[in-house]
Amino acid sequence: MSFDAVRYVFRRPFQWGEFRDQAWFVARVSMAPTLLVAIPLTVLIQFTLNILLRELGAADLSGAGAAFGAVTQLGPLVTVLVIAGAGATAMCADLGSRTIREEIAALEVLGIDPVRRLVTPRVLASTLIALLLNGLVVIVGIVGGYVFSVFVQDVSPGAFMAGMTVLTGIRELIISGVKAAFFGAIAGMVACYRGLIITRGGAKAVGTAVNETVVYAFIALFVVNVVITAIGIKMTAK
Amino acid sequence: MTLRVANPRLMRYYEKPIGVLSKAGNQAIFFGRAIRGVPYTVVHYRSEVIRLVAEISMGTGTLAMIGGTAAIVGFLTLAAGGTLAIQGYSSLGNIGIEALTGFLSAFINVRIAAPVVAGIGLAATFGAGVTAQLGAMRIAEEIDALEAMAIRSVEFLVSTRIVAGMIAITPLYAIAVILSFLASRTVTVILLGQSPGLYDHYFRTFLNPIDLLWSFLQALLMGLAVLMVHTYHGYYATGGPSGVGVAVGNAVRTSLVVVASVTLLVSLAVYGTKGNFHLSG
Repeated sequence: MSFDAVRYVFRRPFQWGEFRDQAWFVARVSMAPTLLVAIPLTVLIQFTLNILLRELGAADLSGAGAAFGAVTQLGPLVTVLVIAGAGATAMCADLGSRTIREEIAALEVLGIDPVRRLVTPRVLASTLIALLLNGLVVIVGIVGGYVFSVFVQDVSPGAFMAGMTVLTGIRELIISGVKAAFFGAIAGMVACYRGLIITRGGAKAVGTAVNETVVYAFIALFVVNVVITAIGIKMTAK
Repeated sequence: MTLRVANPRLMRYYEKPIGVLSKAGNQAIFFGRAIRGVPYTVVHYRSEVIRLVAEISMGTGTLAMIGGTAAIVGFLTLAAGGTLAIQGYSSLGNIGIEALTGFLSAFINVRIAAPVVAGIGLAATFGAGVTAQLGAMRIAEEIDALEAMAIRSVEFLVSTRIVAGMIAITPLYAIAVILSFLASRTVTVILLGQSPGLYDHYFRTFLNPIDLLWSFLQALLMGLAVLMVHTYHGYYATGGPSGVGVAVGNAVRTSLVVVASVTLLVSLAVYGTKGNFHLSG
């Protein structure tokens, strides 16, 4: 089914309306959790990092650390959590309830391929939104890091700004974006798959499907994160 | 009343904050009832608690086939520890101190990575499962049936789960921490080729037993918060089968935020702004 979903990306007509609706839906669902998860984690990481750097006598480098941490790990990690925990669950709940109301079966009877009509736009929408959320988290990470370092832990603001580009360049940014896009696509596929294959009706089945979506999406995304991190480091460390 | 009929949109606008507040109050009352029910539960529903402990650690249905909550939390921390080692080794290598990867593992795993990842794993597996279960019971009117039979539903369904979760989380978290250490060590020593003696030296030097204890406290608090969020959303699910799905989604979303906030608050409270840490010994 994933294969079909990818194949239909290149087939006309593409469901632009559905794509737009879904992108808006995923964005609306994940916006608030993204901010609320990103801010505490930023502060936490910045806090630990600054303690470390101060011990090493390198508090001036905290800008480098903040930017690097936000772009390489925090951005993709928070994107994983939110896109799997918020976006995918909402998508699976939606598709799952349609499945048990036999709307999907009705679509098939009408000769409309549900994968093409429903799954492909959803997967693409979640990819796009994951990419955008990643950017949001990176910005929150850097701004949050700045505020916390400068106002709470007395790092010099000039040094923070100057250090920002030491470790982080366009390569890291690209890898981070690629990661996020992969996460979005995988989470979208898992959610759609689990939503569509519910067979037994009933409330319990939908709940279980959503539960399994979260678990499978987390597992898949953590593995992908390890792999892409390793590949990315090999590629940047030329 | 006439005001409401004349300006429905205006009224909705003004009633929104009241709705939010009354929902928060409702949650607080629910949590209070659940916590107050704990002693009653321990005395009267002991066998139910034991059954739930088994269910939490082993999982039910399809999840049991891949090893239940224990396996999933372990797997997630394994992946997190691996990522930490890869990223840490290369970043520290940039400033020529990759020898300190062992220290990074002892420090970040205990303070940030393991609690956050374990909390998320718990929310995703057991928490979401509880919401689905309770939500289905609510929709199928099983909870009302319990009340009709004069069984205290909050104590029987919610407090039991909280007690069982508290019992199960300590061994679960121990597994998570050990696996994250193992993953970091394996990746650093075997895949990246650092000498094991070097790694172990820095790891042992900076592994602080007190930090570990605090980290367990962090995990316990997080487990409590996650379970409360998930039981609440399940217990008050509305809107038929799709409502259960929506409730699970909402619960997971809320508990992600809760996990991040609890970690931050506990570590700020415990370690202070100075960090209770000295590299020079």
